[in-house]
Amino acid sequence: MSEINRREALGLGVAALAGSLVSASAFAGAQLPDNVSKGDYESALKAWRSIVGEEWVFADTATLQPYMKKFIPDPFNRCVPMGAVAPQSLEEVQAIVKVAGKYGIPLWPVSTGKNMGYGQASPATPGQVILDLKRMNRILEVNVELGTALLEPGVTYQQLKDYLVENDIPLWIDVPTVGPIASPVGNTLDRGVGYTPYGEHFMFQCGMEVVLADGDVLRTGMGSLPNQKTWTAFKWGYGPYLDGMFTQSNFGIVTKMGLWLMPKPPVYKPFVVQFPKVSDIDRMIEALRPLRVSSLIPNCVLMMGAAYQLAMFKRRDEIYDGPGDIPDEHLERVAAENGLGAWNSYFALYGTQDSVAAIEQVVRPVLTAAGGNVYSEEEMHDNPWFHHHQQLMQGGLNLDEVGLTRWRGNGGGLAWFAPVGPVTGDDAREQAALATAILSKYGLDYTAAWAIGWRDLHHICALLYDRSDEQMHRRADECYRELVNEFGKRGWGVYRVGTAHMELAAQQFGEKNREVNQTLKRALDPKGIIAPGKSGIYN
Amino acid sequence: MNILDTKLSVRLSIWVALLLGFGTSAIADPAPSAQPREPAAIYKTICGYCHGKNIGPIILGRGLPKEYITSMARSGPNGMPAFRPTEISNDELDALAVFISQSDAAEGEYGQ
Repeated sequence: MSEINRREALGLGVAALAGSLVSASAFAGAQLPDNVSKGDYESALKAWRSIVGEEWVFADTATLQPYMKKFIPDPFNRCVPMGAVAPQSLEEVQAIVKVAGKYGIPLWPVSTGKNMGYGQASPATPGQVILDLKRMNRILEVNVELGTALLEPGVTYQQLKDYLVENDIPLWIDVPTVGPIASPVGNTLDRGVGYTPYGEHFMFQCGMEVVLADGDVLRTGMGSLPNQKTWTAFKWGYGPYLDGMFTQSNFGIVTKMGLWLMPKPPVYKPFVVQFPKVSDIDRMIEALRPLRVSSLIPNCVLMMGAAYQLAMFKRRDEIYDGPGDIPDEHLERVAAENGLGAWNSYFALYGTQDSVAAIEQVVRPVLTAAGGNVYSEEEMHDNPWFHHHQQLMQGGLNLDEVGLTRWRGNGGGLAWFAPVGPVTGDDAREQAALATAILSKYGLDYTAAWAIGWRDLHHICALLYDRSDEQMHRRADECYRELVNEFGKRGWGVYRVGTAHMELAAQQFGEKNREVNQTLKRALDPKGIIAPGKSGIYN
Repeated sequence: MNILDTKLSVRLSIWVALLLGFGTSAIADPAPSAQPREPAAIYKTICGYCHGKNIGPIILGRGLPKEYITSMARSGPNGMPAFRPTEISNDELDALAVFISQSDAAEGEYGQ
């Protein structure tokens, strides 16, 4: 079968959708793959029940309900699992994978399935069984001296944080925005980002245990040595560096992962620099870049637009009841009324009292000279947005950004569109203009933030819509597709994408890129049983 | 040396000790917890981040029916995430629903 046919066989693309859904046979309210009979599936379910126990296999509509939840636009409801199985050990994962291989049933692994605007536990194509790794929730090791940890996929940031606090271990975690319920392993494998100096999560990953499609186990890096001593301390191992191949991919199932934890500094001082005008975006970024590239500001700086910030705690009709887009002047006024700027960049300094004071003396004048107003706790007091970032920049936990889902109504619609560009003001201004124009065309708001990783700028557009409004749901999907295509044409590829749009995102990166991924996939997973469609990769 | 200086000195010592390798040695916690968590702990570490924090509606002190609470947790209506039995077991959810249903309003919660 050609590669295109393989993709089409898995129900890809709107044009192929109708046919694939009609031809697939229904089972428990979901769709079986075309090459899997109901009998095969029932045999697989029986085998899985014998491995994990009756209560940890889910195959009927009622018990699958929590696996169906998603915020992303998916108007044809394609990203729906047909079942779920939840192992508690490496050995159970191996056995489940062997059964999947025997019957040709694809498995979609999730750690905690709480990535919010990226599809949650939903698979990229119909006819997959969720491999729910949440029960594998052991913190296997924390090395206080080296600041390393070894975790299973079901460990949440909350669990890890609680463990460190309860054991009085002076190490910090770095969280994504939904830390309490999300997984360090899952977020790192999707190359998520956070807020402290350890905010580029994959940079601080070290060592993996991976179950391959044939059930064999690979330990990456130094982990394959007998009596290994540096699995979670030395990233590169010997020979080709493999860990990256198991991120945003479907080449294996990661069952353990090492990561580094930041020593808690004696002094932590959070700041916000506010710029009053929407048009200030370029000078804000130009001012922050040298401070970040030089590491004078050591953490991942989040530059939050006023609309994004307001959407966390308010609904759109609370701040604007006029027609069309929210005018910039109106947004600037409402932001000021709430103690916000049109742009709000949160950063922090970490170290000793002397070192923090010395760096503050360098940073403040640079930002002030660019037109920013620099504030710390003394001025911001209990401002809820400052409080939110003050927590996050020290590895604190909250779920404030779940509030984004209420912006346009009660339906809970959120999709993060996150293209990457260089850290330059000109580039950011161009991106903002393009995103605003496309979103406006579909009647949606430009609710955006920017994250400086180091040399790169993640442009995080929260596409907010009312999922209970069928027309708006369809518009949101069309809008998202146009955003991916139009940004892709101009060289702004996404750093991450929701499950419903993985194929589209992969198309932006060209056929050669896809061919290489497919070659790797066929070598490592010739039956295509691990997460077909993840990042647009098929066997 | 005043008290503030002393505190700073201690904190610095811990930090430097960590960096130089004089801290506590490796700690492992290999045992998965099979014990059900207390409802109050689940509320605090999951529900309470949104409910009563101006993100989700206040649910304590309203006498909500238990069946309604379990249904909401599993389905994740509107902007709420859905929680699977692998995250909150059926037994834990039953106890949590009783806890929420019978709780008084909590001091410090705010919002709708």
